[in-house]
Amino acid sequence: MIEVSHVSKVYRRGDGTPVTALNDVSFAIVAGEFVTIRGPSGSGKSSILNILGCLDTPTSGTYRLEGEDVSGYSDRQLSRIRCRKIGFVFQSFNLIPRTTALENVEIPMIYGNGRVDRTKATVVLQRVGLADRTRHYGTELSGGEQQRVAIARALINDPHLILADEPTGNLDSVAGMEIMRLLQDLNTEGRTIVLVTHDDAVASYAAREIVLRDGGIGSDRSTA
Amino acid sequence: MGVLEGIRLAWRSMSRHRLRAFFMMVGVMVGISSLTILYSVGESTKQETIKRFKRMVGTFDTVIVRPGAGRMRGMISLTTAEPTLKFEDAQAIASEVAEIKQVAQVQNAFDIDVQYRDRAATPAVVGVSANWLDLRGDEVTEGAFFTNDDMQSLARVAVIGMDVQKALFPDENPLDKTLRIGDVPFQVKAVLASRGAGPGGGSLDNVILIPVTTASKRLFNRDYLTMTVAQLKDPEDSETAIRKITALMRERHRIAPSALDDFTITSPRASMAQVTQVGSTLSKTLMGVAIIAMIIGGVVIMSLMLIAVSERRKEIGVRRSVGASRRDILLQFVLEALVVSSLGGLIGIGVGLGGTRIVIQLQNLPHIVAWDALGLAVGLSVVIGLVFGLYPAWKATNVDPVAALRV
Repeated sequence: MIEVSHVSKVYRRGDGTPVTALNDVSFAIVAGEFVTIRGPSGSGKSSILNILGCLDTPTSGTYRLEGEDVSGYSDRQLSRIRCRKIGFVFQSFNLIPRTTALENVEIPMIYGNGRVDRTKATVVLQRVGLADRTRHYGTELSGGEQQRVAIARALINDPHLILADEPTGNLDSVAGMEIMRLLQDLNTEGRTIVLVTHDDAVASYAAREIVLRDGGIGSDRSTA
Repeated sequence: MGVLEGIRLAWRSMSRHRLRAFFMMVGVMVGISSLTILYSVGESTKQETIKRFKRMVGTFDTVIVRPGAGRMRGMISLTTAEPTLKFEDAQAIASEVAEIKQVAQVQNAFDIDVQYRDRAATPAVVGVSANWLDLRGDEVTEGAFFTNDDMQSLARVAVIGMDVQKALFPDENPLDKTLRIGDVPFQVKAVLASRGAGPGGGSLDNVILIPVTTASKRLFNRDYLTMTVAQLKDPEDSETAIRKITALMRERHRIAPSALDDFTITSPRASMAQVTQVGSTLSKTLMGVAIIAMIIGGVVIMSLMLIAVSERRKEIGVRRSVGASRRDILLQFVLEALVVSSLGGLIGIGVGLGGTRIVIQLQNLPHIVAWDALGLAVGLSVVIGLVFGLYPAWKATNVDPVAALRV
């Protein structure tokens, strides 16, 4: 599913000094795995997630997604990959303001084949347990509900890979648990899930844990 | 993302931010509506001027020869004209210039009293050739215009304009009545159809036409003309005809090569171009003002869009993460600016057409819809949206989704 080999990422600060965020990182994730990526802040978690999510490209090294080397892809090619193969879930939900749950879920379809299928969006909202919230705006929903809308949005184009960045970070424990169960269900369906977190309780849902330290891999072990 | 989907998106975003959309529209709206009003009213005024000018000169396929060098202000009459343009000059133009179809000789005076019984009027008294009606395209409503026989026999016959009929014959039929022009009795043969107002607003119907021969020998006792109107066979030949007439006249008047002409030749076409030029200079200035208003509108669009882009960084990040390419983002924001400015333009056209109607009704002008102005207005509002939307949209494509999506 995912093959990261010798990937480095060097950013330039405003004053031009280079900062190494990732240094020669290699790992592979098989289809259907549930993996957490952990590590202190500044360890390169976000950088690796952005590269895995095709929002960013490595400075050196290769990234293969479902056998396809996307390291040198153009913006448009990467956008297509994001659209079809990847679903993002964020800590702060990132619903678009003044937009209903249904409309939020429809957004990825605009960039897919261009056809917005309202029925499909409704079905996916049902799937995450929000059948009665389709016309609600983000501000009218609880945190857990907002995150479920975000998950529905991530699922609408039926991606094989779900990338979640601290998905429970802004939620109370009950809502957080519901979200984790939902992600677990998605994993059981066969979707690959990569989750960045600080939280041990969250990490316990995963079968494998990669710990990053100073831009490199500190440990990579099975937790099952 | 397709353009249609983008427009739908832009429309939704606009309806979510109505106040912002309104402010973005105002400049374009004001610019476009004033442009529409200026252009339509300008065009209407121009048409009205042309119409009045046409009424005055009759046809456009003529050249006019007047005595004296340089353009004289106002109308020439026998009291102000130089006695250099003779009957024979007119005949020579008719017979020797191949481009000329026919020539009318004209003698006119403005200060002669005309009387019928106890009523009096001071119309323009104009001696003209018998071909005048045909040459000018005028018509008589009653009676018949005088003929070449009347010219030959120096008949004392007159054709009166509407105003003269109203002044002298308010409740009787003027035909065959005898009125006095100065001290000379004339018989009314016909009444001219009304021509309405001239370019200056004055009536063109306050006139009496008599045979120019009679005028010369029996009334004014002058052997020179105030004007000769030469009709062209082909209107396109006016420059050639003017050149030939100039040469002919200089030869006939024995003007030395270094001396100036003692006559002036004008063509109604050229004079009218001058008249309408004045109008269009004014409207061009006003048009400039309108365009400045639109540019200000464009700058407002740009600044509000820039604010919107920084407010919507998160939205841009989300859209990028779910598969929007830079191009999609660019398209979305450009279309937002375009939709807003086009809508502003359309509203502006509506307001402008309403305003035009009011101005036209108040000034009693012909109602003209300047379709080319509307086309220009639509084009301009699209261009404004495009030009001033492009930079904010480009800024939007440069939003780093990674940074935007971080908490």
